[in-house]
Amino acid sequence: MSRPAEYWLERLHGFANSGPVRIMNVCGGHERSISMAGLRGAIPSNIELVPGPGCPVCICPEEDVFEAIQIALNEDVTLVAFGDMLRVPVNVPRKDPRSLEQAKAAGADIRPIASPSEAVRIANADPSREVVFFAAGFETTTAPVAAMLAEGVPENLSVLLSGRLTWPAVAMLLDSEEPGFDALIAPGHVSTVMGPEEWSFVVDKHGIPAAVAGFRPDTLLQAMVSVLEQRRTGRPGLDNCYPEVVRPGGNPEARRQLDEVMQVTDANWRGVGVIPSSGFALRDAYAAHDARRRFESYADDSRKRVGEMPPGCDCARVVLGKIYPNQCRLYGRACTPRKPIGPCMVSDEGACRIWWSSGYRDNEHERRQAVG
Amino acid sequence: MCLAVPMEIKTIDGFLATCEALGVRREVNLFMLKDEPLEPGDHVLVHVGYAIQKVTSEEAEASLQLFDEILAAGA
Ligand code: SF4
Repeated sequence: MSRPAEYWLERLHGFANSGPVRIMNVCGGHERSISMAGLRGAIPSNIELVPGPGCPVCICPEEDVFEAIQIALNEDVTLVAFGDMLRVPVNVPRKDPRSLEQAKAAGADIRPIASPSEAVRIANADPSREVVFFAAGFETTTAPVAAMLAEGVPENLSVLLSGRLTWPAVAMLLDSEEPGFDALIAPGHVSTVMGPEEWSFVVDKHGIPAAVAGFRPDTLLQAMVSVLEQRRTGRPGLDNCYPEVVRPGGNPEARRQLDEVMQVTDANWRGVGVIPSSGFALRDAYAAHDARRRFESYADDSRKRVGEMPPGCDCARVVLGKIYPNQCRLYGRACTPRKPIGPCMVSDEGACRIWWSSGYRDNEHERRQAVG
Repeated sequence: MCLAVPMEIKTIDGFLATCEALGVRREVNLFMLKDEPLEPGDHVLVHVGYAIQKVTSEEAEASLQLFDEILAAGA
């Protein structure tokens, strides 16, 4: 049976003298729970909790957001997208709409949705009107999009897919010279769908301790104790601290649907570059519902050159866990949730926004400059 | 976006269910669990309107406490 947060906290304090250790999480939901519960302040100071690639909105390629904006502006369509995507800025001249929200203000028919079912409903409501569903997300969100297509959608609905797999980004970090972390908390709901086995490589190939966690402080703390214990004993393993929900093999039907509808391809991550086998694309059998094929002329490869973050925004390094949000020069100064500059401050899952809304006000970059 | 909420199934019609959590009712698609025997009273983990996994009522209750706290904090 699970034990309360206090128990795990006390056990964590037993590692106070075991030297510095960095534990990375790769899920905006985990980062939100950690920040909101103030776990960083409660655990021993030698244990660092590093937010990593956990925000699909933040790494959605600039050229995809641009493509969605252009289709919405120039074609006679209704474009729907998860709400977070509407405020993500692209790099365009000042007078042009730089987000879906601004394109909407300029007259495009763009609507936020909370579920793929809503896209189907909107398409069914008027069969004569084309509906384009701009779908960005990690496995947990892409699987329902696959389910939607597998179940069958009306002819006038197509998907502009920007789905990504989380583990290849972690693999890329681990294959690099400076991974930036010593242990991993694996994402709970990605594992619910895909199965915890996706994360075995962290342990088997790299000898890095790992544990799948849920979202309550007690399961997050339990996962921290687990990875530290693995480290202490020198026996890394993949622990599952969320067994009520995360089962071996994940959700097999969801994985079958994903595989039926989509194939895995190399994919661009905003500000990061192409990561092998990290993206989803619709299979040929679903070509009729693929907005990338229906609106082929809008795929603009030249955009990949501007596929960076907005000027001055350090979101890419935040996403990769290279810096903390408040080490960005603009954090809390030019960039706040009310006036976000980069996607990490736009999205509910972006580390910058999570930190700001959890009350981190200190801008470390500025402080360091002041100290000299 | 990857956060999922446990909800209780109230009614089922094909692959569509009406589910409830914290007093809120939502239509939930069950297609991702189409091989799972589900009935009213069962709990499912719901993400973007789709049930992604069946959960026990204990787990559902425990995680809902967390959502209560997050909602209370106005996040
Ligand atoms: S604080 Fe704003 S500008 Fe800086 S990295 Fe975060 S989103 Fe980008």
